[in-house]
Amino acid sequence: MPFISEILRHRSLSIVGLEKNTGKTVCLNYILHRMNQLGVHVGVTSIGVDGEQVDSVFATAKPEITLFRGTHFITSEKHYLIRQAVSRLVAVDSQRTSLGPLVTAEVLIQGKVLLSGAATTAVLKRQIQSLDSMGVDISIVDGALSRLSLASPTVTDCMILATGAAVSANVKQLIAKTRHLYQLICLDEVDETLRNRLSIIESGIWAIDNDGEIHDLEIASVFLIDRSEKDILRFGHTLFAAGAISDRLLKILAAKGKDITLIARDFTKIFVTPEVYVDYTRRGNRLMVLQRSKLIAITLNPTSPQGFLLDSKSTCDALSDALQTPVYDVKKIEQ
Amino acid sequence: MKIKELLKSDAGFQYIIDIMDLMSAAGRRAMLEAAFRTSAPELEAEWDRLEAAIRATNDIPNRRYYIDLRHCLMCLHDLSGTFASLANHMPLNEVELFEIKSLCSLSRSAATAIEGLALGATLPLPDCSEPFAILDPDHTGIANFYIYDSYDPELPALRRELNALQTSGGDPMRISDLLARQSEIQNRVCMRLSDELRPWTETLVNTMEQMAYADFLLARAELAIRWNLVRPAVGDHIAYRQLFNPRVKQRNEEMHLRYQPVDIEVRSGVCLITGANMAGKTVLLKSIGTAQIMAQCGMFVPAEEATVCLVEGVVTSIGDDQDEMNGLSSYASEIIKISNILQSCRNERLLVLIDEPARTTNPVEGKALVQAIIKILESLPSITLITTHYGQLGTDCRRLRVKGFVEGMENIPLTPQSINRFIDYSLTEDQSDNVPHEALRIASILGCDEQLISLAQENINH
Repeated sequence: MPFISEILRHRSLSIVGLEKNTGKTVCLNYILHRMNQLGVHVGVTSIGVDGEQVDSVFATAKPEITLFRGTHFITSEKHYLIRQAVSRLVAVDSQRTSLGPLVTAEVLIQGKVLLSGAATTAVLKRQIQSLDSMGVDISIVDGALSRLSLASPTVTDCMILATGAAVSANVKQLIAKTRHLYQLICLDEVDETLRNRLSIIESGIWAIDNDGEIHDLEIASVFLIDRSEKDILRFGHTLFAAGAISDRLLKILAAKGKDITLIARDFTKIFVTPEVYVDYTRRGNRLMVLQRSKLIAITLNPTSPQGFLLDSKSTCDALSDALQTPVYDVKKIEQ
Repeated sequence: MKIKELLKSDAGFQYIIDIMDLMSAAGRRAMLEAAFRTSAPELEAEWDRLEAAIRATNDIPNRRYYIDLRHCLMCLHDLSGTFASLANHMPLNEVELFEIKSLCSLSRSAATAIEGLALGATLPLPDCSEPFAILDPDHTGIANFYIYDSYDPELPALRRELNALQTSGGDPMRISDLLARQSEIQNRVCMRLSDELRPWTETLVNTMEQMAYADFLLARAELAIRWNLVRPAVGDHIAYRQLFNPRVKQRNEEMHLRYQPVDIEVRSGVCLITGANMAGKTVLLKSIGTAQIMAQCGMFVPAEEATVCLVEGVVTSIGDDQDEMNGLSSYASEIIKISNILQSCRNERLLVLIDEPARTTNPVEGKALVQAIIKILESLPSITLITTHYGQLGTDCRRLRVKGFVEGMENIPLTPQSINRFIDYSLTEDQSDNVPHEALRIASILGCDEQLISLAQENINH
């Protein structure tokens, strides 16, 4: 029973996919099934069916998951009313989504349910807290689309990354893309003292000098920075970006010099392409994070939505080799 | 008139609404829908309730009931949509039924807290045990909800079979049939429950509205305690001792500046307010307007002692309403506003607040207009306050002058920030028909161009 016991050491888990159709739902169904067998009290919710981007036609096209007796789950009113599980309502949130208010219910007779959830991580955090207060042993958040924000260590304690043929049917590319994200997830953490001092900063880019003093570089956002920014290194080579880190910032830093350490809040704040990241690190620079996400496992879905099928065993092995971490074909584990 | 219509006035009442600490959206709606009351007995009753709420808020030994009540109000959802469906004979769905059950349960908890705070007479809540019972067929007393087995004789067996098939991975076709049948039964039950609840619609609506009212009442009590507001007496004139403007007071405190409350008494007819620039004439008008609206909306007022004369409304012409998009100049939009004010005053007794009328046109016609405005308003029953810089208006209406600059301060260096320490904002009766001429002195204190000031001074001397 791979990685289940590892999950149980945590209070919340997110399942994020590198792409759509990478098998998040299969993975979630597997975990729920195992948890049920172990008698674990699970809470389940989701993120990302936000009205602006996803119409309800698409939302209903989301795969259903099977929930077992005793599970607490959060979904929208609209999806609640078309569930197949028999369940009892225990709470209704006052905040509405495009699919009605979010409701919390407890499963009485197992069956399929459509999950939809908070549009923002702030609401998601509140939902996880509320599941916690209902006595669940672990809250599981099903990721939607290719959102990563829910995997932030400030939102969920641990994560599972789903990858597969949908990312690329070319095994080399699949490995390269997965490895890039994996590297970001595994970036080193800064020490605790520095983390405590930096984590309260909400915006801007800051420098940490050799004496550990923190200086505001007075750059409101990385999107406002340009090459004319001459003295970004005036206080030293250690920088902290409180917001997002983009290709633009890394390119500018790469052009400025070497031995630069750029600190991000966590990997979900880093939006850089593999090429730019490689170029940045090759010059002797590095990225660090305030807090690292706990990656429990990587799962692989060898089937792509176009019907392309990778060889499960060899692909898992190749990925495993490249990342030096176990990779599971969830469909096989289930059998 | 409702509170939400008063927000458009430039008396500055919006600030009071903004700082109200409400727990629920329903409470906020209750506040905006609350009436501007013109009946003294109604207002006295409203102030009695507020007084009771203030006592309850300050009741330290029973603090836990107060916290319980605020928590209940925080959980209050706005169910107007659900009630409309109910009244319109639309069947409610499971989530809506749950919301109604929650409201019933919430009102029970709120009623306990209200009793504990001895507010039973002030905030009576309807008894919702009947509608709760409709949604609690198994008498669990818990505010969870689903279509319970006991609602339909067919459900228990159906669900037993469904459970057996689902847990053993049974025939999908049979499962699908059972789910469809269950859905049919559930819809039928929802319809039946909606019918059973319909006679209770009014009770439920009252419960929600009464709880929303409680939210507004407690917020008013918090406001009164925080600002040390006073219960006004109702009389035939307006009188305040130590009247203050919450917004300006707050700002001054934040900037560590002194704030000086003022005493004022006004009766029917026109009262002219004169005084130097920066002497607080506009703030005074806004303070009086805000206090009047607060009082008639069932709040206490920002003063140490207050008498209010109940009016049909508060109308204002304060601030520059120039609107290029309307194609109206400052003068045009002002004169239209004043004309409308005069029209309304012919029908009702109002509190009229006009800040420096006709200041944006030539002084000859401007002065003539001010004289005419005063003459018309003098003949009407409204209570009018007009600020002006025009002297020699030749009217015999009452005049109050802001005392303004404290004498003997000429040699002390002043800055725009410290200027308020040298102004006496209190009012004095003024028998003369003159106005203070301190514009140049203030311009010089503000550090304006020296040539400008000296040339202007020469012009005056000639």
